[in-house]
Amino acid sequence: MLRAALPLLGLPLAGAGATEEPTQEPGSPGEPPPGLALFRWQWHEVEAPYLVALWILVASLAKIVFHLSRKVTSLVPESCLLILLGLVLGGIVLAVAKKAEYQLEPGTFFLFLLPPIVLDSGYFMPSRLFFDNLGAILTYAVVGTLWNAFTTGAALWGLQQAGLVAPRVQAGLLDFLLFGSLISAVDPVAVLAVFEEVHVNETLFIIVFGESLLNDAVTVVLYKVCNSFVEMGSANVQATDYLKGVASLFVVSLGGAAVGLVFAFLLALTTRFTKRVRIIEPLLVFLLAYAAYLTAEMASLSAILAVTMCGLGCKKYVEANISHKSRTAVKYTMKTLASCAETIIFMLLGISAVDSSKWAWDSGLVLGTLFFILFFRALGVVLQTWVLNQFRLVPLDKIDQVVMSYGGLRGAVAFALVILLDRTKIPAKDYFVATTIVVVFFTVIVQGLTIKPLVKWLKVKRSEHHKPTLNQELHEHTFDHILAAVEDVVGHHGYHYWRDRWEQFDKKYLSQLLMRRSAYRIRDQIWDVYYRLNIRDAISFVDQGGHVLSSTGLTLPSMPSRNSVAETSVTNLLRESGSGACLDLQVIDTVRSGRDREDAVMHHLLCGGLYKPRYRYKASCSRHFISEDAQERQDKEVFQQNMKRRLESFKSTKHNICFTKSKPRPRKASRKKKDGMANMEATNGKPPRDLGFQDTAAVILTVESEEEEDSDSSETEKEDDEGIIFVARATSEVLQEGKVSGSLEVCPSPRIIPPSPTCAEKELPWKSGQGDLAVYVSSETTKIVPVDMQTGWNQSISSLESLASPPCTQAPAMTRLPPRSLVTEEPQAPLNLPSDLRPSFAFPPSLAKAGRSHSESSADIPQQQELQPLMGHEDHTHLSPGTANSHWCIQFNRGGRL
Amino acid sequence: MGNKQTVFTHEQLEAYQDCTFFTRKEIMRLFYRYKDLAPQLVPLDYTSYPDVKVPYELIGSMPELKDNPFRQRIAQVFSEDGDGHMTLDNFLDMFSVMSEMAPRDLKAYYAFKIYDFNNDDYICVWDLEQTVTKLTRGELSAEEVSLVCEKVLDEADGDHDGRLSLEDFQNMILRAPDFLR
Repeated sequence: MLRAALPLLGLPLAGAGATEEPTQEPGSPGEPPPGLALFRWQWHEVEAPYLVALWILVASLAKIVFHLSRKVTSLVPESCLLILLGLVLGGIVLAVAKKAEYQLEPGTFFLFLLPPIVLDSGYFMPSRLFFDNLGAILTYAVVGTLWNAFTTGAALWGLQQAGLVAPRVQAGLLDFLLFGSLISAVDPVAVLAVFEEVHVNETLFIIVFGESLLNDAVTVVLYKVCNSFVEMGSANVQATDYLKGVASLFVVSLGGAAVGLVFAFLLALTTRFTKRVRIIEPLLVFLLAYAAYLTAEMASLSAILAVTMCGLGCKKYVEANISHKSRTAVKYTMKTLASCAETIIFMLLGISAVDSSKWAWDSGLVLGTLFFILFFRALGVVLQTWVLNQFRLVPLDKIDQVVMSYGGLRGAVAFALVILLDRTKIPAKDYFVATTIVVVFFTVIVQGLTIKPLVKWLKVKRSEHHKPTLNQELHEHTFDHILAAVEDVVGHHGYHYWRDRWEQFDKKYLSQLLMRRSAYRIRDQIWDVYYRLNIRDAISFVDQGGHVLSSTGLTLPSMPSRNSVAETSVTNLLRESGSGACLDLQVIDTVRSGRDREDAVMHHLLCGGLYKPRYRYKASCSRHFISEDAQERQDKEVFQQNMKRRLESFKSTKHNICFTKSKPRPRKASRKKKDGMANMEATNGKPPRDLGFQDTAAVILTVESEEEEDSDSSETEKEDDEGIIFVARATSEVLQEGKVSGSLEVCPSPRIIPPSPTCAEKELPWKSGQGDLAVYVSSETTKIVPVDMQTGWNQSISSLESLASPPCTQAPAMTRLPPRSLVTEEPQAPLNLPSDLRPSFAFPPSLAKAGRSHSESSADIPQQQELQPLMGHEDHTHLSPGTANSHWCIQFNRGGRL
Repeated sequence: MGNKQTVFTHEQLEAYQDCTFFTRKEIMRLFYRYKDLAPQLVPLDYTSYPDVKVPYELIGSMPELKDNPFRQRIAQVFSEDGDGHMTLDNFLDMFSVMSEMAPRDLKAYYAFKIYDFNNDDYICVWDLEQTVTKLTRGELSAEEVSLVCEKVLDEADGDHDGRLSLEDFQNMILRAPDFLR
């Protein structure tokens, strides 16, 4: 692919290569004659790809620099900055090379730069929103573009007839129509670049953006038709040609869409069978989408439409089929490519404008065009909106219309098209080029700069990142059904009717055909949303935790990196599974739920989730196969590696004290910090623990079993270790006291006597058994275990619960936890009934205290410990999620709320 | 045109137009649709306000509706006596409320009624479970359903009384900008 790109981008660059590296080049080939060269300079062989890479690098660096200052980027859209940068760079190149280089070549643009952007936007298009507004989008895209093209062209021609355009612009009506057709299309790249930063509400965005995508077909057709008319000469144009023009509109648009859908189908079907070669899944997505683009381009259909439809169509099935990691890979690669392409496009646009040999200025034409495109865009929008509002339940109000007219940005597509014009056929090409450049610059820079203040000033409804609630999902589904039913009864085959039909068709045939069986099972949408919401809460929780951590200023040298590793891996894991089966764009967003209950639940789970038995740990470092069977494996490994690391550090620190683990509920973080601090200073023993309990109101996990196992450790140590209190606090503070406080990840601080190796060695060798490990890890481990071990991960339910909400994971965890802590603590009452345990978990303060005292007294009863692991294990393996679920869940929630 | 005169009086049509969001033409179309449901039951002359009901069995047996989980509930809500048998007025009412012209609040109100399976003016857990079960076509286990319901209640229950009142429901809908478009 890159090779192919070379001639396009490379050729124009060839000359500049010499200018950039002039000194080395002549020297190298000349000196060492035929003999063995110690050093050879082969610029020409690498020149083209090298330059391409350099340009991308420059663009990326520019992007980084722009974003160094938040102030600048908040005021000025990136696209403007890039264009300006392009202008500067172009100026430099012009000054150095004495001729313009590195232009935006239409071929490069259409074949390489545009597809990633379009694919990205099509793939991540919120499909529901898109189809809900499809009518409006299509109207604006088709009628609006036609209207703009014809009115602008005709008006310009009128302007010329009126003598306001200099006579040296030799153009007839057809030429102006051609120009109008290429200048009238709203450009997806520009719109995306600007609107992404403006954050108008979704409806508005999808209408403007959808229009810019779909109008491509119209633009292509108009452009081609006009172009061929111009070439034929207006005299030779027959009536049938007009008809053909109209027909070609349908052929190009529908054909493009059809090509896209065919490839989407192929793509979905292919990904169904990639179970054993996960590694190429992302590649398939890109390849087939690109193939769709090229195929459409080859057949001179609307390539943009093809890719858009391909992305739209395949997403649901592809997302369900490919693995979590592939999904992430697809997402990021797509975003990277798109943003890269976008950056280059704008930069090259700026550079291209410098080349004065290409364009000729005519004030009348430029000003007239500017005025007309703005005027007719506004007029067209108002007229169409008026018509559309007759049919819309939520009408587009005036402000929306203003933004829509003002958001009609022109961009690189217009520029590339105008460059493609044939100068011999269209003598006024140079003028058109100049005008197009001015129009593009004006819309991108001036409108792009002002649209943000305008939107603010007009108080346009911004997009709110509301949490997609389960309610919404539920009611939306219900209402779809209701409306479909109503339409059925009335025999009116409207939108809902078709959607209902489509959904049934999809469910019955398409999904069966295109999705794996396993994926298909999981795809109940309501459950899906529930799952996702929980995951999201979990993520937000983890994020919060991570945030608190970093803000507390971890001073350990090794801490930050490790910490970040741990955090990202956990977060990613959650994220990946979270984005699992979700269709909307906001998956990545982490929305925090305000509910105490959820927080508490999350807290419990995550606290539990951070430790893990080592006996399962097995490093898999195959580079070629990410995972043998499925996600479980990956998840397990990620987690386990984490766990192992953490465990070790845990042990190392154990010597020193009870360390704190900050897994706070966000709101209470600060308070807890203070408290924790106070506690710590007061004593290392009991009092802090108790306080900690009260503060966190979350899970406080006792790790008695550990010290007990550590029979060699001294009494004092034991005491310290006995209760590990997870309190949120500033780690630095703790450190000052010479203690290590761990959060997500605890690692030995340099000041601490290096206990970790010794500890680990001690314990590891002779306690390599699984049982003791489980014990070792304490109750916490047990909680996380379910995530990985649960045999029924494929029962999507279980996974969900384990990650996010109480039930099935909880059950094992709970059952195990209590036995551990309580059994050890109170030998006299080894049988712990769940009901007893529950309060201990839910109401930490009271029971925790009690448990604490007990534990102190009974800390060194070995037998109990030995029992615990077994118990835990059994529970874990044998406890069927179903039975305990509801029970625990309810209790849990209640507790959490309190 | 001739038909129209015989079916409805002018006043009747006016009244229908006032009560619904439909034009005269649409009302006529709906009427014929209604008549098609039960040709032998529905007279072609409505000027005398005949007391005619199309039994639910006929509505529910429409092939288009056979996949729709809410068909019975819809018919029940809009029928006068809650048994699913619909008069012409009910019929028109239903479409009027569900038409695109109807404001969101009105729709929300009827949606609420549709949810409210036991007609106690609150959406309780039981109602929600019904809804979820219907929506998922029985694919979720009882526990899953109850989990979902709990979450739903938790999300939207403003006054924490364990059930959704109409206000809760409307609030929730207001918060979702894309809903009921």
